[in-house]
Amino acid sequence: MKTLTSLIILLILSITSGTIHADSLLKVDFKTGDPGITSINSMTFGPENILFIGDSNSAQIVAVDLSSHPKVDNSKVKIDFLDKVIADMLGTAVDQIQITDMAVNPENSNIYIAVHHSSGIPVLFRVEDDKLKQVPLKDVSHSKTTITDPVAKDAKDKRGRELRKWAVADIKYHEGKVLLSGLSNKEFASTFRSVDFPFTDQQIYGSLEIFHAAHGEYETHAPIKTFLATSIKGNPHIVAGYTCTPLVVLPMDKIKAGEHHKGRTVAELGSGNSPLDMIEMKNGDKRYLVISNTNRPLMKMDFADLEAYQNALTTPVTKKGAAAGVEYVNLPYVNVLQLDKLGDGFLMIKRESTGNLLLRTGSSWWFK
Amino acid sequence: MKNNLSSLAFILFTLCCWSQDLSTFEVTKDYIALTETVDSSASFKVYKGELSEKNVHTATPILGSIISKKESSRFTPLIPFTFNQKYTVVYNGVVDYFEINPPKDYERLSIEAIYPSSRKLPSNVLKWYIRFSKSIDQTNPYDHIHFLTASGDTIRKAILNLENALISEDRKLLTVWIDPGRQKRGLIPNQQLGAVFEEGKEYSLVITQEFKDKEGIPLKQNQIHQFIITTSDRKQPNVNSWKIRSPEVGTISELKIDFKEQMDYGSMLNRITLLNPDKKKVTGDLKLIKNESTLVLKPHKPWIKGEYEIVIDSRIEDLAGNNLNRLFDTKIVDETSKDIDKAFYSLFFSIK
Repeated sequence: MKTLTSLIILLILSITSGTIHADSLLKVDFKTGDPGITSINSMTFGPENILFIGDSNSAQIVAVDLSSHPKVDNSKVKIDFLDKVIADMLGTAVDQIQITDMAVNPENSNIYIAVHHSSGIPVLFRVEDDKLKQVPLKDVSHSKTTITDPVAKDAKDKRGRELRKWAVADIKYHEGKVLLSGLSNKEFASTFRSVDFPFTDQQIYGSLEIFHAAHGEYETHAPIKTFLATSIKGNPHIVAGYTCTPLVVLPMDKIKAGEHHKGRTVAELGSGNSPLDMIEMKNGDKRYLVISNTNRPLMKMDFADLEAYQNALTTPVTKKGAAAGVEYVNLPYVNVLQLDKLGDGFLMIKRESTGNLLLRTGSSWWFK
Repeated sequence: MKNNLSSLAFILFTLCCWSQDLSTFEVTKDYIALTETVDSSASFKVYKGELSEKNVHTATPILGSIISKKESSRFTPLIPFTFNQKYTVVYNGVVDYFEINPPKDYERLSIEAIYPSSRKLPSNVLKWYIRFSKSIDQTNPYDHIHFLTASGDTIRKAILNLENALISEDRKLLTVWIDPGRQKRGLIPNQQLGAVFEEGKEYSLVITQEFKDKEGIPLKQNQIHQFIITTSDRKQPNVNSWKIRSPEVGTISELKIDFKEQMDYGSMLNRITLLNPDKKKVTGDLKLIKNESTLVLKPHKPWIKGEYEIVIDSRIEDLAGNNLNRLFDTKIVDETSKDIDKAFYSLFFSIK
């Protein structure tokens, strides 16, 4: 009898949890079908196994429900010659593919790798047992919204509309908002967008410019290459890495549609370099900002130092190649092209000196 | 019809290339079809490269889908087969090979236009646009674009190497940004590497032969576009200095707006609207001429009497990225150069 009671309770619980899942407020508008994804420029995970895809070609953000993918153990994942493996699976040459982004689902450690082929077809892969599996995107539970520039959308001139392009550089999810940085081919501005999620028909675009002072002499509008939504002194902030190396912070409450704000430059990370990805690592109360770069090793910055730094860089860095502002340490990982968190550690796609493009983990030891 | 004919010609061409033992095949870029049933989908696989029977067992097959019907089976790769790539096909225990070559009359990728089209450009020129004859390979296009000095040296770090290239929807127009960090005064790249271009010197924009179309077929040869650098442009465009040549009433003759300077091709598209005396948008054919320094509008309907309004988006830019509200780089100390926050500017002219 006791067993039967337990079974009934278990059954009720499982039905209840199933109901909660189906009725999730975040997925209530999700429909199953083809979201029409024509490019995967940038990806990030939100809650409840939702993958957000920034699709520049179709000028849309697509939220895809990937909760059907099983929990996997990728703690020791390693794939050598990743680009060759992908090219072989697609039957093409290595120089005709481009790995555009990598994202890890924090709920179940699944690793996703987005690839573009020269023909224009995007392909999404999932890693399981050190092998790649294609993730079909033609029949998925999803929700989407447009990121077409409102001016261009109203325009009648078809030719102009076709030529308009806003390339997504980075995408992040933070407390009910999808945040995107990118660059247009029409004007040079650091356009940054904030879109409410779940998406609505009456989507309101938050579009703003974050610009920064260059050594107190010139103001500059520049594209944000990568960014992070995080907390600084208990308040939500954007930490942004620009293509020309400054690290800039801006309180999130300032992000309002159509407004222009000057961010505070807190570090220069050395010339001839551009940041590629940013993640936040935690160990107890300690938090670290980890940045991958085009021409510098992986950098580790203590959030305590970032929070303590109240200045804005105003004087030029005169020593060639030198850094300034909040201090950081270089971790012994170079040519890290893609970066994300994986469990307590991190995951990288990095080019080895031998030419091997390697998918591998990075230890949590660096943050202990 | 033309497409159908070329597809047919292509299939015939590929079929002509088969050896005798491959006569049971039909292959195009999009599929490989057998005229026999396969035992199961597991016994019909395609691999990249020419693999021996032994190596096939350890190789990873190409992703694709199989449709098997009575007396026929078709494999459709996830992405189309690549020209000039060797493949191994395995079906019902048979191992065989194929390769698809482009047709002899394959139309090679070419460059139709480069903007700015002028051969004299300010030293702080910011953006280039390259229009191609067909859709381009969107993977890493900036790797194949360089600027050379007159002596043939490549200028290092001249281009903003965006991971997600700025390519138009039809994939024929590529936008190339000169690294703004080098063009903007005061930034580290500018201070340590200097501006990309120097006044009085000659340069070349080179699109190398490796630049490919979406089928992976490269340009026939390097494409070279020479230009000379003049003084920098540090003045905002001024709509009040524009010269308008009014057309005659009752005609569909052209309206010409002379900007008095070269404007940025991309930023001008769709950014100027003409309203008739009833405040309705005038439709017509727009084009930029004289090195993008003049806009020409040929209306679809005859001009009527009254006052017309030209509405100009403040984000239009000159070649140096200066728009109607702000200069591309601004000295903070210069109070007169503070940004103006105005979305549109208007100019008026009358047709009598």
